[in-house]
Amino acid sequence: MDLTPLAAGLAIGLGALGPGIGLGLGVSKAMEALGRNPEASGALFVPYVLGLALTEAVAIYALVIGLLILFT
Amino acid sequence: MPEEAAEHGESLVHVAIKAETLFHLGPIAVTNSMIGTLIATVVLATLAWWASRNNAVVPSRVQSLLEFPLEFLGGIVRAQHATRWRAVLPPVLTIFLLVLVANYVGLLPGVGTIGLHVVEDGHEAVAPIIRPASADLNFTLALALIAFVLFVSWGIRANGLRGYLKETFIANPPYMTPLMTPIHIVSELSRIISLSMRLFGNVFAGEILLAVMLALTFAVVPAIFLGLEMIFGAVQALVFALLTLTYITLATAGHGGGHDEAHESTEHDADDATLRPASAH
Repeated sequence: MDLTPLAAGLAIGLGALGPGIGLGLGVSKAMEALGRNPEASGALFVPYVLGLALTEAVAIYALVIGLLILFT
Repeated sequence: MPEEAAEHGESLVHVAIKAETLFHLGPIAVTNSMIGTLIATVVLATLAWWASRNNAVVPSRVQSLLEFPLEFLGGIVRAQHATRWRAVLPPVLTIFLLVLVANYVGLLPGVGTIGLHVVEDGHEAVAPIIRPASADLNFTLALALIAFVLFVSWGIRANGLRGYLKETFIANPPYMTPLMTPIHIVSELSRIISLSMRLFGNVFAGEILLAVMLALTFAVVPAIFLGLEMIFGAVQALVFALLTLTYITLATAGHGGGHDEAHESTEHDADDATLRPASAH
């Protein structure tokens, strides 16, 4: 039985688990901060986008590994 | 086993991780992602030419659209580099605009779908004439290497060669050096990998997502994802530029080092601010 698709699915599925939690925590804290201090939106934007991008990168690594398993 | 998987994948969508070679120009193999990069460059050059010909004090609609990224990124860069922003802005803005246009070229109709028949490894395959530049690891890796050279050279510029080497290779309590230096070197080099992989992964995954949605569903649904990809394209371009800016800021900050060294570097910075704009490229 060919388990390659299962390996690729597990790679991205498990790999998305951590970044998913991380992104949720990041966004929730940013929204909390924004709710307390709406004027800070300008100062928050750059660190917010950078933090999300760095967290999301982990999921992207898992995706690349998954694609490599599946298509090479 | 992998061949089976590839065939299995190709039954739904055509997925090629590496860019296909279209033709050879002497010793150089011209790939379809190079065509995509060329188109992005031509678009940017045309816009720049147009903007420089038709600039007015009261901006027209197109001019304000073109000035928007300049003002937006200029504000961010200026907030972090009060003295050197004129020298730091051009490379960051260039990276942002090139990645943005390259991402958007990938969303045009016909890109990735109109193809040539090429013979690859003995069997015939269809190679798209234009491949979005950022969906090729070569493009993103080249940009990441440029960013790496940029922030290392800025670090050397700001702290001097000795200061930079001291900061990179000697940890703050000196007895920690054997432990910290390898970690530091790996973290510096991993920036190249993470910068290139993030952009490549996002755009490439977006291409596959669009292809899968087009194969699975009907007219309206892929359009929603096309809109999503437009947001992602802008966000990823912004992220690449902002991370380059952050790395430059970290490299020029010079947190370690002695008191007089810090003094020296501020003088150096003032020199830079006056010297660079004239020789900016």
